[in-house]
Amino acid sequence: MSFIEVKHINKTFKVPIREDGKFGAMKSFFNRKYRYINAIQDISFSIKKGEIVGYIGPNGAGKSTTIKILSGILTPDSGSVCIDKMTPWIDRKKYVSEIGVVFGQRSQLWWDIPAIDSFNLLKDIYKISDEEYEKTLNELIELLNLKDIMNIPVRQLSLGNRMKCEIAASLIHKPKILFLDEPTIGLDAVSKKAVRDFIKRINKTNNVTVILTTHDMSDIEALAKRIILIGKGSILYDGTIGKLKKNYDYLRKVKITTKDNIEIKRDYIINQVKIKDEIEFVIDIRKVELSDFIKAISSKISIIDIEIISNDIDDLIVRLYEEYKI
Amino acid sequence: MSLYLKYLSMHLKSELQYKMSFILSFISQFFTFFGYYFTILCLFNKFSNIKGFTVYEVLLTFSIVTFGCSFCEVFFRGMDQFDKLIVEGNFDRLLLRPRNIILQVFGEEINYVKLSRVLQSLVILVIALLNLNVEWNIYKVLTLLLMMLGSITLFLSLFTIAATYCFITVKGLEIRHVLTDGGKHLAQYPIGIFRKGFVLVLTYIVPFGFVNYYPLLYILGRVEKKVYIFSPITTILYLIVSLLLFYKGVKKYSSVGS
Repeated sequence: MSFIEVKHINKTFKVPIREDGKFGAMKSFFNRKYRYINAIQDISFSIKKGEIVGYIGPNGAGKSTTIKILSGILTPDSGSVCIDKMTPWIDRKKYVSEIGVVFGQRSQLWWDIPAIDSFNLLKDIYKISDEEYEKTLNELIELLNLKDIMNIPVRQLSLGNRMKCEIAASLIHKPKILFLDEPTIGLDAVSKKAVRDFIKRINKTNNVTVILTTHDMSDIEALAKRIILIGKGSILYDGTIGKLKKNYDYLRKVKITTKDNIEIKRDYIINQVKIKDEIEFVIDIRKVELSDFIKAISSKISIIDIEIISNDIDDLIVRLYEEYKI
Repeated sequence: MSLYLKYLSMHLKSELQYKMSFILSFISQFFTFFGYYFTILCLFNKFSNIKGFTVYEVLLTFSIVTFGCSFCEVFFRGMDQFDKLIVEGNFDRLLLRPRNIILQVFGEEINYVKLSRVLQSLVILVIALLNLNVEWNIYKVLTLLLMMLGSITLFLSLFTIAATYCFITVKGLEIRHVLTDGGKHLAQYPIGIFRKGFVLVLTYIVPFGFVNYYPLLYILGRVEKKVYIFSPITTILYLIVSLLLFYKGVKKYSSVGS
C-alpha cells in the first residue's frame, strides 16, 4: 500500500442562493434556497513516499478542497483517505503533527514580531525538544539563509523573505509530508528560485513527500515529475510531464521574416498571420516534419530570418483546459 | 497552560511594538467607561433607591458584571472575535495543529488594552464594598469571590455560545449581542428590580441572576440560606454545555466546510 492512498472521495457543498432584486436579500433571509456544488467527484490517486507531485487545475477546480481533505480540515462525504496508516480527519491531532502546510496567500507568522518568536511558539505547539529544535532551526537558517532576516519584525520583510520564513515555520517540526499551496505566488525570480531549490533539497535529503498546487507552470517544471490535473472536480490527467508534452505539445510557431507575399494552404498549417514583414505560422508537427515545411516554404519565398518557438508549458495547460472544456 | 502563557507573552510582545498607542488607548479606555458609572450616579441623585437597592449595592452588581465581561474580553478575546477567525479562514490553520482547538482559539487574540476596564471595575468594586453596610464574615467573602469567578465563567460561556453560532451563520450576526450585551446591560442592575419575565430569563436562560443577584441577597443579609452562597457555581454547568456545543460546531465545520 502506498504512502498516500486516496480512494473515490466526493465532496458536495451546500451554497445558499442569493436572490436579486430589491427584497432579494430579505427574501433569501427568510426562505433560503440552496444549490449544491460538487466540489470534487470520485477522486482517487496514490502517492509514494518521497514523491513531489504537482496538483494543478484552473481556479475553482477543487484543488483546495482536496488539499483541505488531505490535511484533515475537511471530511469528505464519501470515500477513504489513508496517509501513513492514518485517516486525516479521524486521527487529527496525531496526523497533523506529521504534516506541514504552507498557504501562499495566508500567513502563520506573527505580523508584528520577528519570525524567530513565531518559531519559538511553534516549538511549544508541536512539543519539540530543545536539542531537536536547535538542530532543525540551524539547518533551516543555513539552507534558507535566514540569519539576517529572522530578527526583523515580519511586517517589515519583503514578500520573498517572508515566504522563506513561512516555509521554515511549516518545517520546524520535521513533517513527513509538505503541502504547498501556491508557494511562489508574487515572488521575484531570485526568491522563486531559492524557494524551489530549497523544496528540492529537503525532498532529497529528508525524503519529504511534497504536494504542490500552483498556477505557475515553471514551478511544476522545476519541481515535479508527476502532475495530477483536476478540472470541475474530477481528475483529468495523472502522469509525468514528459508524457503530457508528448501528447499535447505538437504545435510549433514558426516566425519568418520576408519581403515576399505568400498564402499557402496545407492541412498541417493551423494558422498563419502576417504582420508587416513577418509571417507567423502555427504548424502541427504530427502531420509534417519541420524540415519539410521549411524546405517547402523556402522554395517559394526568400527567407530573411526564421524563428521557431516551441510552446511553453503554460500554452500546453491552456490547450489541455480547452480540450477538456474546463 | 504553559502554551497559553506563551501566547500571552507573544501578544504582549506584539502589543509593545506600538508602545505609545497602547498606553494611550489604555488610558482612554479607562476613563471613557466611567461614563457608565456616571449615569448610575445621576440616576441615584434623583432617586435614593431603586426597589430598595441603594447606589452602592447597584455599583456592586454593576462592577461584578463588568469585571467578568472585561476579564473575558482580555484573556478570551479569541472566542469573542471568533467570527473573524472563521471569515478570514484562519480557523483552518488552527485545525492543522496538534493541540486543543479551544486553547488555540483563546491564544489567537488577547486584548491587553481592555485590562484597563478590568482595573476600573475593580476600583468601583472596592468603592462599593467600602460604602456598603455589611458585616463581613468568611461566608460573605467566599460569596463575593464566587460571584467574581462565576461572572467570568458565565461570560466565557456566552462568548462560546456566540462563537458556536458562527458555525451556523459564519458571520456572528447580532444574536451574540442579545445574549452578551443585552443581558449584560440588564444584569448590571440587581435583577430583582425588573418584571418577572426578565427575572426568569436572567435566571434560567442567561443565568446572570446566579452570579450577581442571588448571592448579593446573601451578602446583604436579605436571605440567610447558605445555598445562595454557591449559586454562582451553576455557571460551570452552563460552561460545560457551551463547550460541548462548540465541539459539535467544530465537527460540523469539518463536514460542511467554509
